[in-house]
Amino acid sequence: MSVIAPKFRLAYFLKAIIDNVFWIIILVALIGIPAIQIGLFYGDLPVIEGELLTAFLAFTWLFNPAMALPLVKSLIYSDLFRIAAFPGFGFAALIAAGTIFVERKMLAKLQLRVGPFYCGKIEGILQLAGDGLKLISKEIIIPAKADKPIFWVAPVLFVATAAAFVSLIPVAPGGWVVADLDVGLLAVFAVIGFFPIITVLSAWSANSKYPFIGGIRALHQMVSFEIPLILSLLGVVILTGTLNLSEIVESQSNFPWIIFMPIGAIVFFTAMLAELERIPFDLPEAESEIVAGWLTEFSGMMYGLVQLGSYVKLYAFAALFVVIFLGGWTGPVFWPPLDEQVITTGLEIPSYTGDPFLTISTPGLPLFDADPNEWILQKQGELQYTTGQLLISGVIWFVLKTVAVIFFILLPRGVFPRIRIDMLLHIGWYKLIGLSFVNIFIALGLLYTGILGPGGIL
Amino acid sequence: MKKFDRKKSTYLYIFYVWNRANLVGESVASYSNVLLMFGFAVVAIAPALLISRMISPENKKRPNPVKGLPMECGQVPSGAGRTHFMMQYYAYVLMFVIFDVMAIFLYAWGSTILDMPRTATLPIIAFLGIMFAAMAFALYQSKRKNIW
Repeated sequence: MSVIAPKFRLAYFLKAIIDNVFWIIILVALIGIPAIQIGLFYGDLPVIEGELLTAFLAFTWLFNPAMALPLVKSLIYSDLFRIAAFPGFGFAALIAAGTIFVERKMLAKLQLRVGPFYCGKIEGILQLAGDGLKLISKEIIIPAKADKPIFWVAPVLFVATAAAFVSLIPVAPGGWVVADLDVGLLAVFAVIGFFPIITVLSAWSANSKYPFIGGIRALHQMVSFEIPLILSLLGVVILTGTLNLSEIVESQSNFPWIIFMPIGAIVFFTAMLAELERIPFDLPEAESEIVAGWLTEFSGMMYGLVQLGSYVKLYAFAALFVVIFLGGWTGPVFWPPLDEQVITTGLEIPSYTGDPFLTISTPGLPLFDADPNEWILQKQGELQYTTGQLLISGVIWFVLKTVAVIFFILLPRGVFPRIRIDMLLHIGWYKLIGLSFVNIFIALGLLYTGILGPGGIL
Repeated sequence: MKKFDRKKSTYLYIFYVWNRANLVGESVASYSNVLLMFGFAVVAIAPALLISRMISPENKKRPNPVKGLPMECGQVPSGAGRTHFMMQYYAYVLMFVIFDVMAIFLYAWGSTILDMPRTATLPIIAFLGIMFAAMAFALYQSKRKNIW
């Protein structure tokens, strides 16, 4: 039971509030307003319905339903929204948070436990928020002889590198990707190459023995499994002839590549588990051998950030698997083509008796409506689905496939034991590399026997 | 035979380089979104550490020196954290330096294979053979001499 502090004086309380308000005003005036003005100077303001958007117009239109929609749309199609929300950081962090909760519940069910149970009314659904509050209010303890700047920066760099990885993943048709690069796949390899560096840096900077052992293990593991990871995707590149991830997805509109290259998919999945440091390859943070591996000296929010980064990385790897082997957003649309009226304004179904009170009206989905020309094409029968409908369907398919792959990444943790490091390196160097060579020759065979590729049978 | 116009071809070459320079600039600009995403993550994450630093309990008047010791399972830590260490499996790291680059080189071939004549595949298969044989030889020798 909490009481007000014994030295409580109303005057002190008021003074504290006034102090805080004073500092907030000073900070806003000195930093906030100049920052907004610099941003307005350099940022491109959108033109909506022939008028340049100003702050005054934006505030006015927010309360005008007819104008709020174009305003929100112009925000959704801006770069900042892509980076912060949908294919970018917000989407990835949301899936990462869901993954953490599902993993804890699923592992508990596999081991006949109940898992998080008390926080939140339904099955401990607020456990994650509680953990976040706990982590953020814990003291951060750093070893006295640690290399402080690098030690502080390492978790932030880990999350930011994982976010840079997410930015390369195409999520939905129509260019819903943060950075659409011509050499997207090579950029992915470049970003993956940063993770061992961050791991070893943080391990060395901690000036402690267990992190150091974990960092050396992480170095070996990530370095060894990078070659099978790279070679196993070469087959897909040979058959599509492109390194752009969106084009790789579009090349799978008829069949996903996993049908023709199951060996490559298996090798990639195994290498992915090793890069993610997940059981059976979680040697860098083997909690029953070397306390927590390279995470030993992290405490409080720093540990939380590394966990967030590793789950964002998990999402990015699962999404990469979906994009390359499972066809990304491609898949049948599981609803009939919708009318223009259903999407833009909503339907009005009058009652049988003509009673105005029994008229049913549905809301529209005007955020996802398409170009007016597309509606005309759909009415003429030349276009089956408009872009907005394909977008919704693509996102649903992508999320479903990604969640399935994440499930298969989580599953071994409840099933397999950890393997020894020499066995791990043996698997990586002797078996996976050989299998990925086999995969390259399967791809070449499919190309040169005329089954796939330009002018092929399929 | 048509006479080779050196001046004209120089202009064409400069025009080509000029165009290519523009294209290079454009393709570099498309990488900026990766950097923006990296920066956005830093800006979104760093406040978590700052807030944690602000609201977490820490006794600054009487700091506890035991807290700053490295973690060694409750024992008093012995020796320095960064000491000489046995770098096991060093041969794999050496092999990585070579074969990672070779694997990336294969992508230059793989992404253009549809535009090349079929005979161009034979040298690459020879390259793959050399790569595979070299890898097998390195693994065999390191196992035979037991240099892990």
